[in-house]
Formats: sequence, C-alpha cells, structure tokens
Amino acid sequence: MNTNLKISNITKIYPGCVANNDVSLEFNSGKIYALLGENGAGKSTLVKILSGVVIPDEGKIYLNKNILKLNSPSDAKKNDIGMVFQHFNLFETLSVFENLIIDSDEQRENLKEKIDTIMKKYNFSVDLDVPVLNLSAGQKQKVEIIRCLIRSPKVLIMDEPTSVLTEQETSELFLSLKKFSEEGILIIYITHKLKEVMQLCDEVAVMRRGKLVSVSQINNENIESLANKMVGQDLKTIKKKKENTSSEQLIKITNLNFTSEDPFETNLVDINFSLNRGECLGIAGISGNGQSELFQVLSGEIISNKNSIEFNKNLIGDLNPQERREYLMAFSPEDRLEQAAIPQMAIFENVALNNFKSSNFFNNGLINESKIKEHSKKIISEFNVNTDNIDLKSQFLSGGNLQKLIIGRELITSPDLLICFNPTWGLDVGAINYIHETLIKINEQNKSIILISTDTDELLKLSDKISVIHRGKLSKIMNAEDVTSEKLGILMGGGN
Amino acid sequence: MIVDINFVGLIIASIMASAVPLILASCGELITERSGVLNLGVEGMMIIGAISGFALMTVTGSLIIAVFGAMLAGVLISTIFAFLTQTLITNHVATGLALTIFGIGISAMIGKNFVGIPGKEFPVLFEGLKDTIPLLSPILFGHSIVFYFAFALPFITSYFLKKTKIGLIVRAVGDSPESASNQGINVRFVRYACILYGGAMCGLAGAYLSMIYTPQWIENMTGGRGWIALALVVFSTWNPIKILIGAMIFGGLTIIQFHMQAIGVRIPVQFLTALPYIVTIIVLVVISRDSRKIRLSTPSSLGKSFHKDN
Repeated sequence: MNTNLKISNITKIYPGCVANNDVSLEFNSGKIYALLGENGAGKSTLVKILSGVVIPDEGKIYLNKNILKLNSPSDAKKNDIGMVFQHFNLFETLSVFENLIIDSDEQRENLKEKIDTIMKKYNFSVDLDVPVLNLSAGQKQKVEIIRCLIRSPKVLIMDEPTSVLTEQETSELFLSLKKFSEEGILIIYITHKLKEVMQLCDEVAVMRRGKLVSVSQINNENIESLANKMVGQDLKTIKKKKENTSSEQLIKITNLNFTSEDPFETNLVDINFSLNRGECLGIAGISGNGQSELFQVLSGEIISNKNSIEFNKNLIGDLNPQERREYLMAFSPEDRLEQAAIPQMAIFENVALNNFKSSNFFNNGLINESKIKEHSKKIISEFNVNTDNIDLKSQFLSGGNLQKLIIGRELITSPDLLICFNPTWGLDVGAINYIHETLIKINEQNKSIILISTDTDELLKLSDKISVIHRGKLSKIMNAEDVTSEKLGILMGGGN
Repeated sequence: MIVDINFVGLIIASIMASAVPLILASCGELITERSGVLNLGVEGMMIIGAISGFALMTVTGSLIIAVFGAMLAGVLISTIFAFLTQTLITNHVATGLALTIFGIGISAMIGKNFVGIPGKEFPVLFEGLKDTIPLLSPILFGHSIVFYFAFALPFITSYFLKKTKIGLIVRAVGDSPESASNQGINVRFVRYACILYGGAMCGLAGAYLSMIYTPQWIENMTGGRGWIALALVVFSTWNPIKILIGAMIFGGLTIIQFHMQAIGVRIPVQFLTALPYIVTIIVLVVISRDSRKIRLSTPSSLGKSFHKDN
C-alpha cells in the first residue's frame, strides 16, 4: 500500500524567531527523503510538528489525502507516524523491555514475540533485560527503531540519527533504512551531513532559516551544490598556502608518559614530538585512542613530569592550565558545554573565566564588569558570533556560535600555541568553514596549532605535519603533503 | 535470668507499632519521589493528618470518618504542593519546606481546642487469638487494621512499581519526564496523582499517631518522624523493602533505648536518644552500597521541575 504524506503551508513562530515559514512538501512511500539544513534551519521544528510534539501556528498535514490533526505525540502514533529523535527518548534506568512495553497495549508475551520477529528480520541483537543505560549509542538507537517498528508505521522519521554513531553503526543503520524503505515505509531523514544524503537518499529538500529553498532528485545534485544551497552562498574552498615556515622551535615533548588509574582511560606511552612556530600539527586517530588524555596532558589538566614539556625554552610539564596560559598557550577542549564553557553562565562571564591573571578583569577581588563586557563585545564582533546579547546564557548559543566564542576567547590574548580538540565536531558547514579559516589565519601570523581531530578531511586540509595516535602511542610525524587519507586510515587501524 | 517469651513478643510488637507511621509515610513519599517530585512536606502532611484525624474523631465520634478524613486532609494539603510545583512550576525544596512549616502552624492552631481531650479506643483485630501461640501471638494478633495495612504496604508498593503498567509509567516519568511526555504520557497528571497519593499516606501516618499509637493530641506530636521518613526513602535507595528494614531498626532502637534508660544503663541519655538515627542511617548505607543499583533506582529527574514547551 502506498503512503502519501503532504504538508502544506506550515508556519511556526517562536518569540524572536520564525522556525518554519510557509513550508510545503510532499512525500511518497518507497523513497528515502532527506531534509537538509544547517543547525537552526527549522528541520527539527518541522519534524516535531510531524510527530505531534509541537503544534504549528498555521498549515495542514495530510496523510493519504486525509487531513491529520496532530495535537500530541500519541496522535502521531495513532496515525502510524514513527519518530526517532536525535536525543533519545528512552528511560535510562528501565530495562529495554520496559522501555518497549510502556507505550504498547499488547500483552507481555505477544509483545516479546513481536520484538523477537523484528530483531530476527533486521538482524538486530539487543538484550531485552538490561537497563538502557548499559547500552551503546547504536544499541539505544536500535531500541528506538524497534519501538517504532512494533507499531508497523507508515512513516518513519529519523532526526540526525548518525550524530552519535560510529562508522560501523552508521553503515548498519543505512542498510536497515534501505530495507524499511523497500518494505514500503516512507522514510524522512533529517541531517546536516551532505555525504550521508548522497549515500542514502533519493530526494532531498533543503531548508534555510525556516524556509524551504529547494526540492530535487539526488541524481541532479552533488556535495558542492547542496552545500551552497544549505548555506545560501557560494562557499569558498579553503586552501592553505604552503609557506616556508620558520625553523624556530616552539614546543618540544620528550618521553611523555601517562598511566591512568581509570580502566576506561587510555595510557599514553612515550610521546615525543616537536613543533615549530607557524606550523600546525594534526593528530589523527579513531576516538578513544588516547586523544582526550593527550589533550589533558598538553593543557595541564593532567600534570606530568616537569621536563617532559618544553615550551618557548621553559620547562612547563608540571604547571596547571592557568599557569600554562601565562606562558601564552591556549586551549579549546572537545566538549564545548561541559569543558569549555559553563552553560548556565552568561557569555561575558564565560569570557572572564579563562583570564584570571593576565587581564584587568578583576580589581582587588571585585569583578570589573564593564571591562569584561567591552572585551566580550570585541570577541563577538571579531569572531562573528551571531548574537548581540552578551548577557545571554552560553547554553542558548548554537554549537557553531559557541565554538567561535571559545576560540575567540582564546585567541584574543594572542597566544603562541592553540591546542584544539575536535573543534568542528557537530557543527554545520558554514561554521566549520569559519573555524577552518580562523585556524589558517593563526598559522599565517606565525603562531602554532596542535589540532587533535577525528575528522581526517579536516586534518589533511589544515595540517603541515600529521601524526596518528593509536592505543596511546603516536606514530612518527609525517609531512602533510606525503599523506593520503588511505594511509591515515591504515595507521588509525594500527597498521604500518 | 529467665525471660518471659511472651514479653519478648510484646517488645517486638511495640517495635513494629512504632515503625508503622514511618512505613506509611515513607512508602507514600517513595511513590511521590519515584515520579520525580521531591516533597519535603512529609512532616507537615503528617501533623495535619494527626490533628484532622483526632479532631474528626472527637467531633463526629466516627473512627471511619476520622481515618478517611485524615487521609483526605493529607490529600488536600498535598494538592497545594502539587498546584504550586506542577502548575506554577515553583521550586520543590522551598515549597516542601513551606508546607511543613505551614502544617505545623495550622495544626497547632486547630489543635488548641483538643489538648487534653482523651482519645477513643481503636478496635483491634484477632484479639481472641492473642494467647494461642507463644512469642508469635502478640506479634501477629491484636492490632489495628492500619497496622496490618502498613506492613503489607512495602510489598504492595514493590509489586506496584515492578509489575504493573502504572508503576512502570511512574518510574518512567521519574526517569525522564521529557521522554515520557514525547511518548504521549501526561507527566503533570502522573505527578499530581503521585503527590496526592503521598499526601494520603502521610495523612494516614499522622492519624495512626494521634488515634492509635498515643490516642491524644499533643502539639508537634509527630516529633520529627516526617524527616526520618524522608531520610528512610533516600537511604533505602527508593526500595520499599529496605524502607521496612530501616523503619524496624529505627523503631527497635527507639524502644530499646527507652528500656535501657529505664533500667539505668550508664550511657549518656543524649547518646541513647541519638542512637536510632545514627544506626538506621549507617545500616541503610551499608545495605545499599551497590552503586549500579543506586543508579538504577534513583529517579533521575528528582526535584527538577518539568515544563512542557510548545
């Protein structure tokens, strides 16, 4: 049976923001549809409307020509619309089976049978009796998918499903989605990742600032054309100018070791490298191979042997991050909201937090608010942070804006070395481009970067030298021109 | 020394009797907390239950009206809490503390006219069987219906949470109100219901104190039992069976230290009075050490307001 889902003239306005502006779309079963857009383009609002979580101000939804009234999530369920949210809607402390039975009207035994059939059919294997908090992200997603499949949905909506998955899990997911589609389930796939759209989908709708900008067949598109539609301007292809960098050594790491007491952390073994002024050292690797420990050791969150780190001819291995900043090092940690910024504090307060000594932010223990605010405004305008309200709590900034603020905060003190860890993780194309441009600019000012990243494309684009970390050991340092992504792939897997 | 075996039985029975209000209030609060609501007003709801039960008994003369009236009074005062925290989204901790202060104040005001009035005798069940089995008879027979209900309640609560669908929904709401709401569960309704149920149980616990345990009205007669009940819920890691154990230890030590004081054991009185509090908490901490189990039974959203945005 064919399913036809039509949305017409949907508008949803939030105070100060038009999330969806007169959006009309039509979907038919048998195809996989991509809904593409940057963060904040209105994709999520649209799917929340389709799943009954949000009620639109205007517009109508039709399923097989019948008008649909979706006033609550249960209305969507009743009308066979299934939805897998980006942030899982699971109950962590309940078992998998309890999570599944909670919104099902079936008897325990019937439901168990049904789940077994689904798991066999799609080759899922999830232990039903363990609490959800013990599952990996990929398994949690499978639970969500099973929960939808139990109701034999006509429509399945996936909201940014790969943001938490490994590559292996992603390809498994794609196989399942193709299978569902062949069986006649209409699939709407929301993402900002262009590669995935090209790999998986048949048709693509692009949204920008709440408006629908284009609907097209995937065959008529390529990554560049989609990226341009998504951002709304032609993206400059960034290329790093290879200049002859200075030979003045800035930082030298000698026999750096770190042994952790936590069994879930990786030990670092005999790390040795050096970096000259104006260079960018990229450190590649599959996540969990010691990157976060390396970042912590370099930034001083973990203190090591005094002699192991020589920076600007000073031995600083035993200094904490605050003291290392005095020597003009700067840091941009991986987790923006947990490590880099305090979500509940205002932008200007976050700006003050990494500048205790080398600034005039504090007089005799009192906060000099006007100084900090002035300084914050400078960062916001210089680094293109898209807000003019420095009293805004930092949790309300989008990922891209927050990252710009963090990098800006670090760079405004003009450090000699910036150490950053996955600086563009989870950002949209526009923001990624901006961060990349900024990092290249730093190198051009004869300042150095250590870039720890799991994104190989990014590393190849920005680095002068590249090394790979695998199980806490660093490979030899290679010149970026001699490296290909295949070679990196082999090294990341532990090969030679 | 020859100990009369029936005397031992009587002591155990009196320990159980003193545990009753703790079990009732804790099991009620446990359901409230499992839905993610932290109601610190247990003491206040208990004392309201105590005065309402005693006053209704004196005025109407009907024990049934008095017991159910006390529960209703608990429900009514907890409705204030529910309205404030769930509809007006006030802070759970502050509202709960206010509820306790309010309860103690208003109960003292109402209770002025009831000081010194003797209570009524509450009927007991199975009185005829009292002398049949040595040791066990005084433990098992000759208690009020509230007593039997209290000792069944932890098991009923445990069954309700683990085996029934509504229990599952309560746990789900306490785990993640956002997810529950997205699943189409009416979070506010579930939380209201759990708060009101907690109020009813606290009201009953109060009525037990003023009508059965010590049948009279004394100002502030709950004497901190509400706070102990709250502590029991937390230190039992939200497990009804462990609440039963904790309440028995607390009741037991309270009774035993009375007897120790009476026979003149040379330990400072202050230490003896503090003993039940300390030992109960230590025992519960020791039997609830498994951090994985704690993580699984702690309601993740406890004390956090949930506001559905549209």
